[in-house]
This record gives sequence, structure tokens and C-alpha cells, in this order.
Amino acid sequence: MRNLIIAFLFFLPSLAFSQSFKTESGEAIFLSKAPLNEFTGESEKLKGLIDLEKNLVDFYLDLNTLKTGIGLRDRHMRENYLETDKFPFAEFTGKMKSIPALNTGTTYPVAVVGKFKIHGIERNVEITGNLQKTSSGNLELKAKFDILLGDYEIPLPKLVFYELAEKQEVSINATLKPVK
Amino acid sequence: MKKLAVFAFLMISFSSFAQLERKLENENQPVDLIFHAPRHINILTVEPLDKKSMHFAIMHTFGTLNGGIENLFGLDNGANIQFSFEFALTDKLSAGISRSSRDKVYNLYGRYLLLEQTQNDKMPFSLSLAGGAGVNTSRYDFLPEPAPNFSERSSYFGQVMLARKFSEKISLQLTPMMAYFVDPRSVYQIEGDQNFYLALGLSGKFKVTDRSSLTLQYIPNLNSDLRSNVGIGWDVEAGGHVFQMYFVTSQALNEQYLLAGGNGVPGEEFRLGFNVNRIFAIGQKKRKY
Repeated sequence: MRNLIIAFLFFLPSLAFSQSFKTESGEAIFLSKAPLNEFTGESEKLKGLIDLEKNLVDFYLDLNTLKTGIGLRDRHMRENYLETDKFPFAEFTGKMKSIPALNTGTTYPVAVVGKFKIHGIERNVEITGNLQKTSSGNLELKAKFDILLGDYEIPLPKLVFYELAEKQEVSINATLKPVK
Repeated sequence: MKKLAVFAFLMISFSSFAQLERKLENENQPVDLIFHAPRHINILTVEPLDKKSMHFAIMHTFGTLNGGIENLFGLDNGANIQFSFEFALTDKLSAGISRSSRDKVYNLYGRYLLLEQTQNDKMPFSLSLAGGAGVNTSRYDFLPEPAPNFSERSSYFGQVMLARKFSEKISLQLTPMMAYFVDPRSVYQIEGDQNFYLALGLSGKFKVTDRSSLTLQYIPNLNSDLRSNVGIGWDVEAGGHVFQMYFVTSQALNEQYLLAGGNGVPGEEFRLGFNVNRIFAIGQKKRKY
């Protein structure tokens, strides 16, 4: 029993001062700028984890939660382009190139490298963004990156090129709370 | 000591969990697009409208094809045209108004999505109800007898739409339909002389490419000697539009006339039809990015 308590005390710090942060409600915005039509697909259900100790950055989004403001367009997007019944998630797993000092209140530019996966296709990407530790101990992450639909084998028929852009500009905005 | 090792192992594995587990936001995610649009050739489908959106459809049916090139396959013979606007009051309930040129009929109708098919098949089909009332606004001044009054000009319809997407390619809908004419006069452009009509609509969609489908419609009459409606067509999604081109045996476009209007012989009296469907967002929130 005494051994047990010692073991508990020994591992307690790694629990209490865990360096991992999580969110269940990050914001993800896909902006499509086509010649005749500009619209966004937005979700506030981005799930994310940043583990500073192990240098793990892991995010995923249930693409069924993306809304463009027009229901039929959402349905077409899910059925014809993203095929969410087969590939429901957009995912990123990677690590930071270098972990910033993260002094409270200072915004640090960060670069993450890893694998981005959507429509069942995985690619190596590098994404840059800004990370800040707030006074309440949360991590605030903002990032922007572009994805080309063709890179992920999402075909863009000629008939609709003027309504849907090949390049999707993705913005991510998340507040990650420390995991206790 | 063994106990200690197990405990230590547990603690380590607990404090060092890896990737997040991927979980769907909604386990009972509804199936998307059983049909391409809220209309399928002539029949209303189970496709719902989302709140704050409006479905606008222009539907045409032309003269019969058998006039050949001289009448440009019926296009010269004047079309029956129907405009319809359907507004979503909630994600399931919508209200619409349509106007077809044949007898200048205005219809007010409602549609309600009762059950929605889910991807996990917990709900294996979608079920919608629709009903409406119409009034014939043609002038009948030329008649020797007094022109029909408002009530004598009115007609009603009701239908149940039961649909299932069987696979990525095949969707079917069964639509028991009924129509009631208060006073089915021979001067109206209908063939039936009964007040009450009962029929069973059958609609099929076979997806050929990602954005187009072969469509079928068969509406056998159940309580009249009128010919049954047969239609075959092609749906194309293009941008935000759904275009529907079809051959059909009746020029009727609204529900009451579809049942009482009469049909030609399939193959002989096919006519060209063409629908344009568009969904508009109304009161869309301001964009932010």
C-alpha cells in the first residue's frame, strides 16, 4: 500500500501539470472564392488537442457540421464533393517545428508539420499560425492555410467552376483549455 | 512490487493519451439527397428545405412530339407553365404557392417532413406529407350558363411521400395521392368527370454520374378509367440549379390536374417537359472571415 502511495505521488505531477490542451468547439471556415460566387462553409465543432510535452498537434472536424447557409448546397457539398458518408472527417496530425516559450499574453508564430487528410486522401502539409497563452491559462490558436480540391481527388466539374473555387482558404480559430 | 508496476503502467498510459478519438457529431446523420430536388418530374419529393430558404421552380410541358420538326417537336404548341415558390418555415415544414397556366390555377400548399432516413439505417426511409387547395381563375364569361363561383372553381389535393435511398445510385418513392374537385366541369381542361381521384405515384432515380440521374415516373390511377401518367427524364445538378428534362404523357403540372387531367398514349403522345429548380437563402446571416 505504501508503495502505491509513493507511486501515486510520483506520477501526480505528470497529471496535475499536464501540458496538454483540448477544445471541442473550435471554429473552422472554408472560404471559396469563385468568379461568380463567393461563399463560406463554417463549423464550430472543430475538435483539437495540443500536447506541448509530447509535441503532438491533433485536430479533426466532422464535415457533416459544415454549413454554407444554403441547405441544398450543403447536401451537394456532402454528397458530390466531400462524400461524407464515406469520409466524414477532415483531420490533421502533426507536430510543431519548434515549441515557443508561451509567455502569457504574447502571440507566437508557430509552424506545424504533419499529415492533413480529407476525402480519404492524406498529404504532408506545413501550416503556419499564431499561438497565444491567455491569462486564464488557455491556448488560443489561429491558423490559415489553403487546400486545392484536386490534391485530395475532389473533382471540380467544368460546369461549376464559376460557382466553386478549386482553392479553398481554410481558417481555424480555437481556444484550447488545459486538460486536468 | 507487481502491483506497483501495474499501477505505474496505468498512470503512464493514462497521462499520455495520444490522438483524439474520431467521433461523429450526430450518430443518426440523415441521408443526403434521396432525390436531386423537392420535385421529381411532376411529383413533390421528400427532399426538405432548410429553414430560411426558398425553393423556386419553373416547370414547363410542351405540345406532343408527334407534330415532328414542323412544330419543333411540340415546342410551337404552347406550353403549360407553372411557377412555384415554396418557403421553409422550419427545417421540416414549408408552405408554397404555385400558379399553372392551364386554367390559370393558383395552388396554396404545405409540405411536412415527418421521418428522415438516416445513414446508419436506424430510420430506413423518409416520410413526408403534402396537401393543398387550388382555385381556377380562368374567365368563363363566354359560357351561356353563369360562370362557376369560387367554390365551384376550387380543388384540393393530399399525398403521402414514402422514399428510400437504397444505394448511392438508386432511390425510390411511393406516393399515394388523392385529388378532389368541387365541381369538375367539362369546360375545365381536365378529362375526368369525377369529383374524387385516387392514384399511386411511383418515382425512381438512378444516378448515372456524380451530378446526373435517369428519372422515372409512373402514376397509375386507382379509381378512374383515365390513362395512367408515364414519364422518363434526366436530372442534372449544375451549380446551385437542378435541371430536369423529361418526356411525359400529360401536360398537367399541379397535383389535382396531374390526377384528373388525363394522359396520352405512352410513345405516341409524349411531350417534352423541362423544370428548373433553384434554392435561395432568405435572410442569410452576414458573412465573417
